[in-house]
Amino acid sequence: MKRMLGFTVIASILFFVNVSHCRTKLVALPERADTVIRLDNPNSTLVEEERVLTLQKGTNQVDFSWTGVSIDPDSICIKILTHPKEVNIISVSYPPGENALVWQIYSPQPYEERIRISYLLKNIDRLITYKAIANKEETKIDLQSFLVLRNFSGEDFSQAKILLDYGETFEKQVLHEETRQMLLLTRQNVPIEKRFTFDAMVLPWDPEKVQGNVGIPVTYVAKNDKKSGFGEFALWNGKARIFQDDGHNSTIFLGEDNLNFTPVGDKFSLYTGDSRDIVITQRKMKDIKINVKKNNLGSIVLYDTDEIMKIEIENFKDAPANLTIVENILGQWDMEETSHQYEKEDANILKFNLNLAPKAKQTIIYHYHRRNVR
Amino acid sequence: MKKIITVFGLILLGFSTGYCKIDLVTLPERDTVQLTIYNSADLTLVRESRTLTMKKGDNKLQFSWANTLIDPTSLELFPLKDADKITVTDLFFPPRITGLGVWNINSGISGKAPCEINYFTSGISWQAYYLATLSQDEKTMKLEGYVKVTNKSGEDYENAQVRLIVGKIHLLDNIAMLARRYPPYGRPIEILPRPTEMEKKREVFTMAKPALSEAADRVVVKQIEKEGLSEYFLYTIEGTETIPDGWTKRLLSFSQDKIPVINFYKFEEERFGKNAIRFISFKNDKAHNLGKEPLPDGLVKAFKIADKNERLSYIGQDNTKYIPIDEDVELNLGAVLDVKVQPKMMDYKTYNYVFDSMGNITGWDEEKTYTVEVSNYRTIPAKIEITRNFPHQYWTIENKGDFGEYKQIDIDTVRYTMEVQPNTTKQFTYKVILRWGDRQLI
Repeated sequence: MKRMLGFTVIASILFFVNVSHCRTKLVALPERADTVIRLDNPNSTLVEEERVLTLQKGTNQVDFSWTGVSIDPDSICIKILTHPKEVNIISVSYPPGENALVWQIYSPQPYEERIRISYLLKNIDRLITYKAIANKEETKIDLQSFLVLRNFSGEDFSQAKILLDYGETFEKQVLHEETRQMLLLTRQNVPIEKRFTFDAMVLPWDPEKVQGNVGIPVTYVAKNDKKSGFGEFALWNGKARIFQDDGHNSTIFLGEDNLNFTPVGDKFSLYTGDSRDIVITQRKMKDIKINVKKNNLGSIVLYDTDEIMKIEIENFKDAPANLTIVENILGQWDMEETSHQYEKEDANILKFNLNLAPKAKQTIIYHYHRRNVR
Repeated sequence: MKKIITVFGLILLGFSTGYCKIDLVTLPERDTVQLTIYNSADLTLVRESRTLTMKKGDNKLQFSWANTLIDPTSLELFPLKDADKITVTDLFFPPRITGLGVWNINSGISGKAPCEINYFTSGISWQAYYLATLSQDEKTMKLEGYVKVTNKSGEDYENAQVRLIVGKIHLLDNIAMLARRYPPYGRPIEILPRPTEMEKKREVFTMAKPALSEAADRVVVKQIEKEGLSEYFLYTIEGTETIPDGWTKRLLSFSQDKIPVINFYKFEEERFGKNAIRFISFKNDKAHNLGKEPLPDGLVKAFKIADKNERLSYIGQDNTKYIPIDEDVELNLGAVLDVKVQPKMMDYKTYNYVFDSMGNITGWDEEKTYTVEVSNYRTIPAKIEITRNFPHQYWTIENKGDFGEYKQIDIDTVRYTMEVQPNTTKQFTYKVILRWGDRQLI
């Protein structure tokens, strides 16, 4: 198959420049030395490569051109490494109609000069994936994170250092159209909390009227902190597959979720699947207008509604469960009476946190007034 | 017929200082294979052990899965022994080759190394289904639960330990889509895969393979071990099974006789229309000779013993929900004519009008009187549940006659539950007063 691209890679050609501007003398086609692929920005990949230029005394012209790859020309930078105080970049220019740029470099002496060129390269990126294995009791997980490098940039890297902002640095060959998965980090015994969540805005209220079962989402919640074996860096967003030790030297797959970007100190949660062993039936038992005020024309301008909500919870599991019930009351409201304490997530969202005993039934009843202005 | 699969051309390559000396060491067979099959998603976790032959230093292990439905992003390899001496450094998918991955393995030892390879495949599924047989007096029922495993994965699995998961897992991606995606992790600019020939091939019936005859010789019915894990239930089928591509296997999961049942009927015009709907109800608990495990969702075909010779008559079928241990089961067997509920409005009035300053009506009461006739034309007693819905929450009700047990369900729903003896009709009346407009402000 025909090679797609030339990335006439940093076809860095050195010309000796006389007084005139014409490019005349080919001096060297320097080999690529150290190459670094930096993946700490999820949107752009930065490539840094070092080359040794043979500079002549006076002004040198260095061409940098590319074909078959997509480089952001404005991102290209050059850094003089061997004689940074003596060798200077005089100008950078872009020849018309070419994927190229030309540096004018002044050198006071003939030097073998090491330079570093950096640029943003497109169609090469990385994904982060996770694998978690929970213990049988579901109190902790072993977490592995993988770096998946996808190179469709048009460029072969025969040997490159691949780095993120944390975890291992890899030194690998990365060919064009190659995908490579590498283990980035491993953490053992990360404590987790298992939580069931019923969100009344999302899930049906009456399971009897639903075809099939109403699943109550189950999540594992862990924290990016020292106690959990993290706490040094943010965890990148990526797909996580969660397994569980089955107690027979094997595992079962519990489900997969996206692990959202988690800064140090924050919690991350992984939604594994739905429980059908907790059954929740929510019903509105009262909703009437009270405290009605009319204007002089007899139209209603203000009233309250007197509302009662009843939530019946049945745990058919023979294990306890931490359950959060998320309720929504819109507008201005006052709680008159409640059977259970709740936390306010915001002005309209209430959260009831329950610890359900095995095989237990609980009923939440809350009674509130809501203001209505016409 | 041509075999579809060439799975697992396992080649071990010796690797030294940059020059690949391709060295075919061995093509190891699977030592063991375990399938964990899900019913809520098209996904099976395959776990196989193979004995690889390692060389000291860098090894390359090539794994190919052309024409199967394996998700390459799920591939995983790890040593079962000498884990501290054998390191899997990376897995790469070479350019422009589909269905192939290569693991780089650094080994501190040479010789045999038992390893485990895990991956997901789509194309293997299982379902539960039930046969329910009511006794002649319809007081008890025999329930047989089956599981049916179907392999359309493109791969034959021989002597596999088969495990089934009952549960609803959360997935971000469809495994069949991941299996046909090239490159395995997509491109930085994603191009979505189209259905391929492989998808069509999945429907092709593969020729019979002799492997099945072995199982047919068995005399003893296989047991299925059941246990709860997280929110799921794991069924492990005793021994091993060979499931060639294209085949389905049916296994008995449980059989239980003498389950006490309640024949029971529901009437709710808004949900079911004018007819009463027949249900059989029981509880998945010890009192009903059940309660050992949740019952997975599946189709129930219900029969009845029709005569002394135990001939059967077919009643109907229903897709059941998943039933946790200790929960009530209600099998919906469809509309019937031998139990009738006929509500009739016998009286209608409006009064208590409210007028505004312009003389317009802004509120009134509406009084409706219904007579409900409940008839059981069967030869056995029937429990009947009648649900009535009102247009809003501003109402009061007055019940008279043989209305059984009355309960308010929510702001605008009430329910009457009663037992009606064979060939009997019961009658009751309810008067509902609905307040409209400004009459609701009282």
